[in-house]
Amino acid sequence: MPLQQGSVRTRQRTVLLVGIVVLLAALVLAVVLASLLTHGRHEVSPQMLKWKDRGTTKNLQEVILGRCYNYITAEYPELGDKDCLKIWESLKDAFIYKNPCNITAEDYQPLMELASHPIPCNKSLFWSKTSDLAHRYTKSNQNFLTLEDTLLGYMADRISWCGDPSAPGINYESCPKRSECESNPGSVFWKMASKMFAEAACGVVQVMLNGSIEAGAFRSSSIFGSIEVFNLNPDKVSEVHIWLMQDIGGPQSESCSGRSIQRLISILEERNFKIICEDNYRPVQLLQCVHNPDHTDCRLCTNST
Amino acid sequence: KWKGEGTTRNLENIVIGRCYDYIRIVNPAVGEKNCSQIWEAFKNAFINKDPCNILPKDYELFINLSLHTIPPNKSLFWENNQLLVNSFADRGRRYMSVGDTLFGFFGDFLNWCGQADSPGLDYESCPTTKECENNAVESFWRMASITYAQHSSGVIHVLLNGSAEGGAYPQPGFFADYEIPNLQKDKISQIVIWVVDDIEGPDIDSCGIHSVKILETRLKTLGYDVICTDNNKSVMFLLCLD
Repeated sequence: MPLQQGSVRTRQRTVLLVGIVVLLAALVLAVVLASLLTHGRHEVSPQMLKWKDRGTTKNLQEVILGRCYNYITAEYPELGDKDCLKIWESLKDAFIYKNPCNITAEDYQPLMELASHPIPCNKSLFWSKTSDLAHRYTKSNQNFLTLEDTLLGYMADRISWCGDPSAPGINYESCPKRSECESNPGSVFWKMASKMFAEAACGVVQVMLNGSIEAGAFRSSSIFGSIEVFNLNPDKVSEVHIWLMQDIGGPQSESCSGRSIQRLISILEERNFKIICEDNYRPVQLLQCVHNPDHTDCRLCTNST
Repeated sequence: KWKGEGTTRNLENIVIGRCYDYIRIVNPAVGEKNCSQIWEAFKNAFINKDPCNILPKDYELFINLSLHTIPPNKSLFWENNQLLVNSFADRGRRYMSVGDTLFGFFGDFLNWCGQADSPGLDYESCPTTKECENNAVESFWRMASITYAQHSSGVIHVLLNGSAEGGAYPQPGFFADYEIPNLQKDKISQIVIWVVDDIEGPDIDSCGIHSVKILETRLKTLGYDVICTDNNKSVMFLLCLD
């Protein structure tokens, strides 16, 4: 009888052991399966290159198309007919499926040709380190146009895009910073658009610079200093008016007599442009005064304004 | 057929683009919205119907899909000074006027109407409000104004034009008929009225007189804490720019 009891207990122990092993195996299988499934869901495009800047703006196509139609229909209908669909396609073709560090001017040539339009004389407003102020000014005063008020700039403002050799060809996760590679889709675009904007300028042109930054109001490394200045056409442009704006109550780092401004003036004079420089051009200063109405620099407009 | 301008060309592309522009760039804080669905709801409010029989509640689904929070203390109501308000509000950064909300941004400066017994938009002409009040655009803005007022809170601002013929506070008017009646008293701490004259324009109205006095009295009777200022300096600077 003790032998029989022993064999029953052995069988029970075996069953228990087998049961535990089966349970463990099932657990391991479940864990492996779960990690595989979730791993697949998080890694959207495991082969896409990874960069340091924000990725392509979501719904890029809808935004670009909408802005294009809005511009030609509601903002500047005098432009006539532009084919917005073609314009979008040419933008997409410039970067889709390409390595975003290998973008060239040729990639954007079709887009530039389709979307460029003439700029009325005396209206071009260039800017450097004064983006917010310059754009608020052109929104309140339709007599001036920045690059971002032209069709190309209007479509691309505050948007980012870049491609990748692997599907779907557009990288929504990240895009290269300039420090990672210079020939990235955004930088090449803005350099080309700026060059064309400068080439198209005629008559008197204006430039708004920042007299409150330590590094100097005019910098050769800026797009204005490296591209726009050198693409103004002396046969079309007669004068350059510099508006040197200092922050209200801010540091007065530079004025029209400052060193970097003198350098800019000599570069421009060498190219036969007439220069006028004005410290704190009053109409633009009034715009600054909206946020600082009680500052001594902000006396209410009088007839002499 | 009608006396007003027809539907804006490329309306669908423009408004869908604006919707995505708003949620991706202008104000991403509103979160994810289905812009195609919003367009469908908008369109269904007025297509295939008599263009003189469109009511504000026809836009209810559109509003429900595009609604988002309006931050407290940022509401800016206005009459007779739309361009000034746009400058002053700075695309929602200083203030959020109705045109800076998703539903307002969607339709600002555009025109649209449909026709009975046809799913198409009428690009030739649309009825003016004089021809019939219950037209697609008028009802849109009535609904937008109602909604905007209902979701405003904290200190609210009203910018009025002191040089406007007929008075700074127009009656009838959007503010009088659709916004004031829909303000939520328990969510509003104060109403600040700014009356601003055009530069070198006539000083027809000011705080405490004529139509502005009527407005102040009405709001105080309703139980609001009301302040009124003439020619607010910040706003004056914007006017000087022209």
